[in-house]
Amino acid sequence: MRFTDHVKDRLWFYLIAALSLGLMLLFLFAYRVSGQLIIFICAIFFLFIIAEEAVGFMRKRRFYSQLRSRLDKLDKKYLIHELVEKPSFFEGELIYDALCEANKSMCENVAEYKRSSADFRDFIEMWVHEIKLPVASLQLMAHNHSDELGEKFQEQLRRIDGYTDQVLYYARSENAEKDYIIKDTALKRTVANVALKNREAVQLCGACIETEGLDLTVMTDGKWLEFILGQFMANSLKYISDGREPVIKVYAEELPDRVLLHFRDNGIGIPAGDLNRVFDKSFTGENGRNYAKSTGMGLYIVKSLCDRLGHSITAESVQGEYTEFTIGFAKNEYYRMENS
Amino acid sequence: MNRIYIVEDDRSIREELAELLRNSGYETDCLTDFSDSAAQILAAKADLILMDINIPNLNGEQLLKEIRKKTDTPVIMVTSRTSETDEVLSMSYGADDYITKPYNPTILLLRISAVLKRSSGAASVQTYSGLQVNDAKGSLSDGSRELTLTKNEMIIFRFMLDRQGSIVTRDELMTALWDNDEFVNDNALTVNISRLRSKLAELGCEDAIETRKKQGYILR
Repeated sequence: MRFTDHVKDRLWFYLIAALSLGLMLLFLFAYRVSGQLIIFICAIFFLFIIAEEAVGFMRKRRFYSQLRSRLDKLDKKYLIHELVEKPSFFEGELIYDALCEANKSMCENVAEYKRSSADFRDFIEMWVHEIKLPVASLQLMAHNHSDELGEKFQEQLRRIDGYTDQVLYYARSENAEKDYIIKDTALKRTVANVALKNREAVQLCGACIETEGLDLTVMTDGKWLEFILGQFMANSLKYISDGREPVIKVYAEELPDRVLLHFRDNGIGIPAGDLNRVFDKSFTGENGRNYAKSTGMGLYIVKSLCDRLGHSITAESVQGEYTEFTIGFAKNEYYRMENS
Repeated sequence: MNRIYIVEDDRSIREELAELLRNSGYETDCLTDFSDSAAQILAAKADLILMDINIPNLNGEQLLKEIRKKTDTPVIMVTSRTSETDEVLSMSYGADDYITKPYNPTILLLRISAVLKRSSGAASVQTYSGLQVNDAKGSLSDGSRELTLTKNEMIIFRFMLDRQGSIVTRDELMTALWDNDEFVNDNALTVNISRLRSKLAELGCEDAIETRKKQGYILR
């Protein structure tokens, strides 16, 4: 808070003071008061004004400049009232109390939304577990009475399972609660689990899975990684390029500071213009419109799961040739030492 | 014959699961009254326990902990809870495997036989009509000659040998191969089986593997 701001703010007061001084002088002259006395009275008048302004300015300046500078530095601006001292002048107190009250009310409001979103998430999680029971039951029935139709039922049941998993992981990725465990996970086992889960679909497409260098362990949540690779797999099987044998290559490489897991297919690829938006929510792009029905959620969920787990993820593609997703797992020596 | 005890509160799943296991040559027994689960499970003296986490009156993980105090019977947790936390918790309480619903029935059977094999401590050398089977070396020998099998052939042969005399479907063989990181396709499986056949014939076991149309294969 600068002094000029203060002066500008007090313009009305000065105007009134000047007016009252003028009136006073008028009367003093009318009663023929001596010149010395007039000068004396004027001096006292100015002295009072200056003293009053200086004290008022000092009291306010402390509060307002603190407010301004702390607000600029703060990233969560709604916490400002916690960081300024309670002022000692009336207007300041009024503002301070209003800030506190507004903030408290906002916190309550936010808490209510948090609660309702947590409730919703809990319900989704519970619902997904519930829906898996009839699906499991149907899958067993289809297997026990296996014939041509049983195989077809199983395929549809796998689709249902895939979609419910998407809902589950979407709910998990959107919420702040920590419900994952980061531990040493063998890439080989994870990839085998994903392949096993999608075996029928892979064989139906006549695709071929190649792996290389998967004898590594990474720090991640195994279940989340399985879901992520499952999404890549589903995409690869969806966007197969006609005229060549579909090949899915999963390979890992170890760098000094991290492990990279590559998931590459030789499908139709992603147009260059769409490539940097594939992880956006609800983005379907050219492929989503032209080839298969796409929700644009799969890769978005993948990206948010990776963000939560602290993995990097990149997409690379040449249209008509290949698509490659790469996940980067950080190596954490400190954590390993703690564990061993 | 191995006896499997099923702890599952969903009636439909329980019945289908029992049927699946019976079809695959296991004896089954189910827990139907959940008021005193632990005692009943222990009294059943099964060779393997399939257990759900969400069962009435008691948490499956606590139940597992209680059972583990009294017996070493292998336990496979079968559940619709898919988080890594649940799995880690179950394994730390002494579960031998953890499978999430809905499961592929073939994979479930594969896991069950793997756990049973591990717990019975079957030796790796077995014989098949006078042939020595050496898993570690991946070879078959009749005393004088030794033939090396490829990894795929060994997986197929091992799987059939464990189920000697009963039908093994292509689906099961495929699952066993994929479970061992061998992502072969249909043609490759056919080729592997015919190679395995000719290798067995070379060692004097002609027609060891019989083809049953639309069903699978039998190792005689």
